[in-house]
Amino acid sequence: MSEILTVTDLKKVYGKGGSLTRALDGVSLSLEAGEFVGVMGPSGSGKTTLLNCVSTIDRPSAGSIVIDGKELTRLKGKELAKFRRERLGFIFQDCNLLDTLTTYENIALSLSIIRAPAQKIDRRVREMADLLGIADCLDKYPYQMSGGQQQRCAAARAMVTHPALVLADEPTGALDSKSSQLLLDRLDELNMELGATILMVTHDAFTASCCRRVVFLRDGKLFLELHRGNDSRKVFFKKIIQVVTEMGGGMADVL
Amino acid sequence: MFSKLALRNVRRSFRDYGVYLLTLTFGVCLFYTFNSIQDQGALVYLSNVGNPIVEAITMLIDIFSVFVAVVLACLILYANRFLLRRRKRELGTYLLLGLSQGQVSRLLFLETGLIGLISLIAGLALGVAASFGMSALTLSMFEIDVSDMLAVKFSSGAAGKTVLYFGVIFLLVMVLSGVQVSKAKLIDLIHGERKNEILKPRPLGIAVFQFVLGVVCLIAAYAILLTFGMALAIAVPFLCFPMLGLGTLGTLLIFRSLSGFVMKFVQGHPGLYFKNLNVFTLRQWISKVHTTYLAQTVVCILLLLAIGITASSLGLNSTLTAMTDGEAPFDITVQNQSGDTERVDFDAVLREGGFNPDEKLAWSYDTMFYYNEGEITGIEDASGAIKVSDLDALLNRQGKPAYSGALPALLETLEDKLTTGNLSLRCVVIPDDMADRLQPRRQVWSADYAGEDKAETEEQLLQLVRPLNEKVSIQLESRLSIYGDMMGNKILALFLGLYLGFTFLLAAAAVLALQQLSQGADNTGRYAVLRRLGAEEKQMKKSATQQVALAFLLPLVLALVHSAVGMKAANDIIFAVGKVDSAASSLVTAGVILVVYGGYFLATALACRRMAKNA
Repeated sequence: MSEILTVTDLKKVYGKGGSLTRALDGVSLSLEAGEFVGVMGPSGSGKTTLLNCVSTIDRPSAGSIVIDGKELTRLKGKELAKFRRERLGFIFQDCNLLDTLTTYENIALSLSIIRAPAQKIDRRVREMADLLGIADCLDKYPYQMSGGQQQRCAAARAMVTHPALVLADEPTGALDSKSSQLLLDRLDELNMELGATILMVTHDAFTASCCRRVVFLRDGKLFLELHRGNDSRKVFFKKIIQVVTEMGGGMADVL
Repeated sequence: MFSKLALRNVRRSFRDYGVYLLTLTFGVCLFYTFNSIQDQGALVYLSNVGNPIVEAITMLIDIFSVFVAVVLACLILYANRFLLRRRKRELGTYLLLGLSQGQVSRLLFLETGLIGLISLIAGLALGVAASFGMSALTLSMFEIDVSDMLAVKFSSGAAGKTVLYFGVIFLLVMVLSGVQVSKAKLIDLIHGERKNEILKPRPLGIAVFQFVLGVVCLIAAYAILLTFGMALAIAVPFLCFPMLGLGTLGTLLIFRSLSGFVMKFVQGHPGLYFKNLNVFTLRQWISKVHTTYLAQTVVCILLLLAIGITASSLGLNSTLTAMTDGEAPFDITVQNQSGDTERVDFDAVLREGGFNPDEKLAWSYDTMFYYNEGEITGIEDASGAIKVSDLDALLNRQGKPAYSGALPALLETLEDKLTTGNLSLRCVVIPDDMADRLQPRRQVWSADYAGEDKAETEEQLLQLVRPLNEKVSIQLESRLSIYGDMMGNKILALFLGLYLGFTFLLAAAAVLALQQLSQGADNTGRYAVLRRLGAEEKQMKKSATQQVALAFLLPLVLALVHSAVGMKAANDIIFAVGKVDSAASSLVTAGVILVVYGGYFLATALACRRMAKNA
């Protein structure tokens, strides 16, 4: 399979002179097309910095990021905005829907922004809404929907442009367990059926357990990688919990 | 330390709160301009010729100024409250850093004082320029040449009054913002981000219905106006009120429903609906309609009034010329009410006083009016009689054909004025020889001045004629005095109209601008989402501009449509005898309206674009 995302020796340094903070200290990672990868790690491990760099919101200090054959660090200004809207999809913790637009319009807007042909927009929006189970909410405004529905709408908005890579930052962070499960099921389905490549940042082991692979970060470095392989989700979840406990192990010794 | 902080805050407000400063400056400018009119050319001229209207104008301006000051005070307080709300976080931070509430109040006190000082100075400077412009405008309405009255003047009285009124307003603002800070809780200030209004879904079908209803209302109002004509539609109450009511209702409905109507239309055209950020712009417009449509309606009506005042000043000017000619066929008419007993030889009186009629008068004519006696003239229903030769002489001077009807006969021609001023006699035209059998009733002497300086001639003549009042009962009426009265009335109407018109225009435009700015601030989160979705900055700025333009330009467009219909209805009055100089002055007025309104539009659009860019 072809590689969609290749991160090589990525470094991000904040601050100047004596007080340097190494948020990312040589992270390398690669995603193949159709992979569903989770990134885990404690606070300050560099998860969000990694995501920000990959999503072109932030610029790395050193290293390279190649998405779909494009070297991100060389893109500038308009090219960057164009790349972002055409090749990337975002799902955030606070789903960031536009509150003045209906669900339908929220999803259609991202197609408008990439200048998709008007005749195809309606069909694509409805298909995506069907896939995510929000077809009956299309004419509702965000505040008329539950948090789970809103987040699935955000997912539909991210996926409808068929991006090369979907970046999800704590998508279940603000959801109750049932809504989380529903959203994760849908993401899983999108991953399986449409072959969408998803990179999801989370600190919740349960959420991470639906990924095919989980990457652990600590202190800006890659700590460990877990592959789900043929494990059931339950088994994979236990493995993740084990790693999380080990990562906190340093503290456990003291206590 | 405090003054440094205050100074920096004020400098920042230049950029962020341009609209606030603009409002203050325009307010000061408006106030000064209208309060300085008693020192302006037109009124100086009128008071020089002893016109009593000057006092009336000055008094009314004084009364209106109090009213205008109250409106401006409310506006400034509203704007200030809006600014404070946006600065809650900043003020909270000051308190959190350990400043006492008294110190923060003092900071605000200093800031308001500084801003007040700056806007007072700028406003007065602008006011001097504006009063020169207004002086030119009013002087251009005079038939006679008064251009030497035009000069740039600084009216210290008006300036003092402006400083006093605005000083009180600023003091009020200072005290109220101080009170607001001292009463506020820290937690509210820190979490002072404004919450979004709850959006209620409103079916677009209703908007379409309202829009159609609004259009029908407007068409009905237009139909009334165009069918019955301007004069009738305004004078007759049962035409006037339905017309104004339908017009206002139609305007209101259109502003309320236009966004929904456009949305419904655009939804049927995917090419438009899905183009660029159109969906976003339209939805933003719809979501704000319920806070803006009232202000838009008011702005639309005010713009219409402003345009109407301009047009009617033009119309008044033409009718004034016609009326002066109708009311005053001769430069002066002296009526001797005691003509039956004591006849005056005007020629001799003038010569005696050193006034040479041959040289200074182009024409003069002495007419005797007689008591009508039914037995002799055969006509009962009249109070006076005039010889046909006298009548012909008076008509001839006005360039009218001589009397050609039967004799004796009742003089039907009420439009044929025989005197300047009122004769108030119903006359019979009699053959000259019949006069011997009638009793003299009134002696009427009319004259036209020779030479250029008519005011001077009139002054000399009146010096000699007025003393006659001791012997006989004299009634004087001159073209210049009638003209002065009309001029005074016209200036009164124009000044008060402009004063109020501009005040309301200023208030409405400022409210509209502040609404848009606060909405722009609420929109920053939405622009941030758009940016993350990859929308280009150019398109976001465009969308921001479009939103402001919709709020500002729609009232202007509808006002223009209204006034176009109004102009058509008033076509006869306005364009029949249109004069070039008044057209020019009307253009100046229209230009000033556009500058004020356009200034607000630009300032708001720029601020909103900046907010979209920095989101």
